[in-house]
Amino acid sequence: MALKQKQIYCRPDLCIGCRICANACALTHEGAANPRLGRINIRQNLFERYEFQELCRHCDDPPCLDACMVGCIEKDEDTGIVTNDDRCVGCWMCVMVCPYGSMRRDLIKQIAVKCDQCKDKDGPVCVNVCPTGALVFEEREDLPEEPFISGPSVT
Amino acid sequence: MEEKRPLCVNAIVDLTESTVAIVETSEEIIRNFVGGRGLNMHYLYKYLKPQVDPLSPDNVLILGTGLLTGTLAPNSGRHSVTCKSPESGIIGDSNIGGFLGPEMRFAGFDRLIILGKADKPVYLYLEDGKIEIRDASDYWGLLCSETDAKFHYDLGSDVEVQSIGPAGENLVRFACTRYGVKNAAGRCGTGAVWGSKNLKAVVARGTRGLPVYDPQGMIDKYTELRDYLKESKVINVLGRVGTPLLYDVSNYLGAIRTHNSQQTVFSDSLNAEEVHKHVSKMLGCYGCVVHCRHRNTLGGEGPEYTTEVLLGANIGVADTGKMIDLNNIVNDLGLDVSSTGTYIAWAIELFEKGYLTEETAGRILRFGDYNMARQLIYDIAYRRGLGDTLAEGSKLVDKFGPETADFLIAIKGLPQSDPHDVRYLKGFALGIATSSRGADHLRSRPTLEILDLPTSFTTQLYGEPVDPNPTSYESKSRVVYFSETIFAVVDCMGICKFVCHGFNSPRNLNYDHFSELTRLATGLEFSKEELQSVGRRVIDQERLINFQEKGITRKDDTLPARYFDEPMPSARAKGSHISREGFNKMLDEYYELCGWDKNGMLPQERIAELNKLRDLTK
Repeated sequence: MALKQKQIYCRPDLCIGCRICANACALTHEGAANPRLGRINIRQNLFERYEFQELCRHCDDPPCLDACMVGCIEKDEDTGIVTNDDRCVGCWMCVMVCPYGSMRRDLIKQIAVKCDQCKDKDGPVCVNVCPTGALVFEEREDLPEEPFISGPSVT
Repeated sequence: MEEKRPLCVNAIVDLTESTVAIVETSEEIIRNFVGGRGLNMHYLYKYLKPQVDPLSPDNVLILGTGLLTGTLAPNSGRHSVTCKSPESGIIGDSNIGGFLGPEMRFAGFDRLIILGKADKPVYLYLEDGKIEIRDASDYWGLLCSETDAKFHYDLGSDVEVQSIGPAGENLVRFACTRYGVKNAAGRCGTGAVWGSKNLKAVVARGTRGLPVYDPQGMIDKYTELRDYLKESKVINVLGRVGTPLLYDVSNYLGAIRTHNSQQTVFSDSLNAEEVHKHVSKMLGCYGCVVHCRHRNTLGGEGPEYTTEVLLGANIGVADTGKMIDLNNIVNDLGLDVSSTGTYIAWAIELFEKGYLTEETAGRILRFGDYNMARQLIYDIAYRRGLGDTLAEGSKLVDKFGPETADFLIAIKGLPQSDPHDVRYLKGFALGIATSSRGADHLRSRPTLEILDLPTSFTTQLYGEPVDPNPTSYESKSRVVYFSETIFAVVDCMGICKFVCHGFNSPRNLNYDHFSELTRLATGLEFSKEELQSVGRRVIDQERLINFQEKGITRKDDTLPARYFDEPMPSARAKGSHISREGFNKMLDEYYELCGWDKNGMLPQERIAELNKLRDLTK
């Protein structure tokens, strides 16, 4: 039985590509500014016009958890949040198996880093800082029927 | 553990010698010039030898990020491109948004000081503390959008690119440099200086974190300021339709530069709602809470208010789609919209008045002729026929006769950027007349008086009572003085003017906000008075360079003759013109506020101070 869980969703029509979400994520988790260090990555490549969100979905049956050889990835039974800790040895197996490309390598610390939905804080910081309300943190019933590109737009 | 990153790292890139040297800016100099435009001016003063040809290898090209660029401060995506302008011969300084400035900082560089000239086309590649001078022969000749796409294809989709188009390569004196397809360091012909140095692009990829003094404090402050800014009416409208919102207002007033300012009212077809039919989405730059950038359905970005007037009303093109097409072409070729539109309109008037003929121009020039304008824009960028002549810009006044300067809407050799005919708003007129880079609204743009604000409020804002009547000459110097000071500071910070106090709105980010943001980002404390004195120092530094390069004094702080002599023909502003007497009075008051003498010269003590600071820098 899949656990119903709050997730971070992006409504692309509202996203303006400012990267504030990723920058705030980096400041929260790394203490320094640079959207590249954030766990969330949404770009609007202006010329190619593609929009893509790289972010952990906290899978029901996380492939990263199975792949981790030191067992440092856990899925919380109550909240469903998948986290990793610093016992990570940087083998990058989790990076390879993640179907969403959302496991990021920290090449300086040589550990994998991922979104923890800011579990110790008052909601995910990326959602809190989004200037247009493009990012939402909510429980969705049936994803396939929810049109991904929908709702209000900034145009 | 990494060693601590210095507050300001400058790379001196010598393209002749293919060398890169790193120098840090001391805290004392940062306290005096902050960053961005301010530090750029300091380094321009340091490195520029007097009286050099702007298109020679001796010119100094500086890309400098602001002190808050790349931090979480709202709208902190901007940097300044500075050199000696090949268009005006005085300072060339242009502020640009997009994503390159922050990326430069993440790659470890706050400023690039580019000297010399490469012997073949090159681009600079910045990544994590290293700079490579790479061969750009595969990119030379490409349009801005093609260059951007090819770099993303060749180097990965996550690099940030600022480049020049064919106009810069062909040394058109008003070529710009461009981030992506639209963001431009537009004014003053900085693109021609890139071209003269054989520099096609600057490409950056930075994976390092930019230290922030108080990360959680910064997030909290950002959230507070975002909510505060989002309450602003004008920011909401800018986010919905962008700058075209100003078109209806100016048109209603009868102050749209039309047919080279011979008329002042134009078609409603360029109103914001008409333009918006061609817009598929609004976008933001780095860290933006405003999102005023349009993605249009014709394959580009824009148009801004400036473009719709200068490539629409000013040359007589009323069709919205055709105007947007011209916008996209000019963007792709890497031309400055304001200058291009002004010169084309000027050329058409030259034709009307007989200075150009069908024989000498190679065509008939008429207002409203879209096909002619389209062809002429290409000819300018590729320097063909009449386009080759016009590519020399305001220098052509010498060629066609000094009297032709009377109907070129330019000051100090730089065409007016703002589409607003300033004969009605006297403070605005003083602002563009005294602006350090030529006729430009982004140096002061005092327009708050049309908002009909209560006197008690304006007194507090400007420090003294200001006449609320926009057509009065009284106390307008105070308004210009106030605006140019805070705009200089915001340019030093690397923040967008759309969230700056006094630009469109009497609220938004003011000195106190900048003090707090600077403390949270860097740990440096600046009081309001210190920031104001930084603003004045930057303006004085620019004045000093201008005086040394071209002897800029009171005689140059003037307006196009048309603004003095010809009353506005239509609508509410009908009959307005600038009286020479009133203007001179404003100028006297302005110089007094600045602490300059009657001739607009800096006091000796200030020159000594700036020289001392210059000598302090290694």
